[in-house]
Amino acid sequence: MDKEKNQNENTQNEITLKFKIIDILYIVMMIAPIVIAITLKVLFTPGGDGVNITGPLIYVRIPFALQDIIITEAQINSWLILITIFGVCLYMTHGLSENPTLKRQHFAEMIVEKAEALINDNMGDYYMSFTPFIMAIMAISAFSSLMSLFGLFPPTSDMNVVAGWSILVFGIITYYKLKCGPLNYMKEFTKPVAVLTPINIISEFATPVSMAFRHYGNVLSGIVVSVLVGSALQGLSRMLLGWAGGFIGSIPLLQVGIPAILSVYFDVFSGLLQAFIFAMLTMLYVSGAFDLDAFMEYKRKKQEKKNKKLKIKQTNLEEN
Amino acid sequence: MQPSDIITVNLWQIVVSLLNLVILFLIIKKFLYKPVKNILKSRQDKLDEKYTQADKYLSQAESTKTELDKKLNDAENKADAILNEATANAERRKEKIVGEARDEAESIIRQAKNQAELEMKKAESEIKAQIVDVSFELSKKLIEREIKEEDHHKLIDSFIDQIGDSDEE
Repeated sequence: MDKEKNQNENTQNEITLKFKIIDILYIVMMIAPIVIAITLKVLFTPGGDGVNITGPLIYVRIPFALQDIIITEAQINSWLILITIFGVCLYMTHGLSENPTLKRQHFAEMIVEKAEALINDNMGDYYMSFTPFIMAIMAISAFSSLMSLFGLFPPTSDMNVVAGWSILVFGIITYYKLKCGPLNYMKEFTKPVAVLTPINIISEFATPVSMAFRHYGNVLSGIVVSVLVGSALQGLSRMLLGWAGGFIGSIPLLQVGIPAILSVYFDVFSGLLQAFIFAMLTMLYVSGAFDLDAFMEYKRKKQEKKNKKLKIKQTNLEEN
Repeated sequence: MQPSDIITVNLWQIVVSLLNLVILFLIIKKFLYKPVKNILKSRQDKLDEKYTQADKYLSQAESTKTELDKKLNDAENKADAILNEATANAERRKEKIVGEARDEAESIIRQAKNQAELEMKKAESEIKAQIVDVSFELSKKLIEREIKEEDHHKLIDSFIDQIGDSDEE
């Protein structure tokens, strides 16, 4: 009996040990990318003083058709973010059970349920399959913006990254608009008055551009303001302590603490807000692009046409 | 290793970022959304099953209860009926027995009365005869010469009649 008990305990311990090892692997998967990004940043960023606002570092440049393929800090950082989010997903869904004992399961369920509630409120039941997409947009945008907390280059402050997302969203919007037939899609442009057609076309293409620039501009402006304030504080502290010269003169007195407050606003608040806004706009544009009633009407008409054709065929056959 | 300009447009970068979002969408769908949804769904299913089971058991219990109530009622009614019948039977038998006893007693009393009357009449007549005889002898001895035997008899008879009358009263 004792032996059996021991064996049972052993197997249980083994299971928990295995579980813990996998957990640790996932946590490493979450944290390692950030560490790698910081190392890369430390290794390759040229040091500089004063106002120095640049785009992402270019690591690799490959000549290619149309334009060179360049792999920049933004790309690398967003791939690392993908790995981090993948790790978070795996960690949260590790050890899911019907009778949850782990806190992370409650957290995962909360996230999914909140996202579904958001979709349901803003888009309606028909779009429930959009939930993972909206979750993905929110996650990638928020994580990218929050990267600047670690002093890294936030991929959202590179326009190309955000432009990619907004073009995907634009594609989805157009797909939903085309669902009611290409003719309807064309008609929508002349909707209030025919004269407004060119403006409608412009506004159509303005959607992705405005989405991209809004997000990118907000994050970049945060960085610019941070850098400006930082250099101003540096100058001020030099003015205050510079007369002492030597070691005392180089103490960045005013740079302690104040940039952190700015960082709370520009990095955390603004980053999360922009993520939310981007997701919100996606939801609104997609649900606005597509009128369910009109779609049903279109489908019904199509079906009727088909039925008519079939009938004509049948009558022809009978006549023959 | 030089930094790029702050605003650059690079087609391939845009494409890469677009693909990144698609990949992240697939990752989140496969590794977060689907598993959590499955767990939620299976839990909901289990819950629904439990609820339907509970409802079933409840309805079953209710039907059993009504059945048992009905049975209990029936049993009570039956018991009442049996008790009533038994009481009625007992009453009837009692009355019968008592009646029989009374009849017997009455008949016995009547017989006794009759016998007593008979005896009395017999005794009366005997006493009468004896009285007649005795008085006759007595009176014969007392007033032998003065009264004839016939008159004498008449006198005594009337006397005895008077006695009988007073007896009957």
